[in-house]
Amino acid sequence: MRMKALTVPGEPEYLGDIVEYVLTAAEMAQLDERAAYRLRLAVDEIATNIVAHGFTKTGQEGWLRITAVFTPTQLKIQLDDTAAPYDPTQCPQPATLHASPHDRHPGGLGIYLALGGVDNFRYERRNGWNRSTFIAQRKPALVPAY
Amino acid sequence: MITDMKQLDGVHIAVLGGDIDGRSAPQIQETLLPLVSENCKILLDMSHVTYMSSAGLRILLLLYRQIADNAGRVVLVGLPEKIWDTMSITGFLDFFEAYSTLAEGMAALHIPAEAADK
Repeated sequence: MRMKALTVPGEPEYLGDIVEYVLTAAEMAQLDERAAYRLRLAVDEIATNIVAHGFTKTGQEGWLRITAVFTPTQLKIQLDDTAAPYDPTQCPQPATLHASPHDRHPGGLGIYLALGGVDNFRYERRNGWNRSTFIAQRKPALVPAY
Repeated sequence: MITDMKQLDGVHIAVLGGDIDGRSAPQIQETLLPLVSENCKILLDMSHVTYMSSAGLRILLLLYRQIADNAGRVVLVGLPEKIWDTMSITGFLDFFEAYSTLAEGMAALHIPAEAADK
């Protein structure tokens, strides 16, 4: 089963709609509060990054499209965008996670939180779109036995 | 967003609430940074924060640095568990002082940092 996709312009004021979509999907999938929070954080971080670096900074106009796919064991969120190719999994882990505050660089924390916050994250480029896929496992107790 | 600001016993208390993300972060930053002065004491009540992304972490880091550069102190109180998680895995709790209650945070600000470390 999939939720009707939502397509919005790649502009900051539409990020709230993306977050709402994720929270609705998480509720439908009956994710627990912590898993829903981490999924929201992951999608928010990646979407914010796309809008800031893929569109706003470059002056390029484009689109974000989000789709939730439900399987008996997983909630899969596909976030597609028309910005230049960018693979978050190739972003190096912040080297300064445990450095003193004055030696830290705040960059990269969002992607670090995003990739670590879900059970699986995949990136692919297809037909001129970037696709980030976030996977959250649904609780086994809630999965009907087939 | 910031829902309340007051000064008590020489401490600036800012109550934060709601979502701290890329959209709300600039306003929070603009409100908090002017509180920084030499030897300032700042307490951030985080107990009403429902969500914090890396945009919030960036503000906290910037604020911490400016306060440290001015020989001031900052403490956080009432961190909700999910935000504690985010700050813990990113190493922010290695340097931020965090307390459960406002009273504990206020007490900590009234003893020298060196004594608080012991």
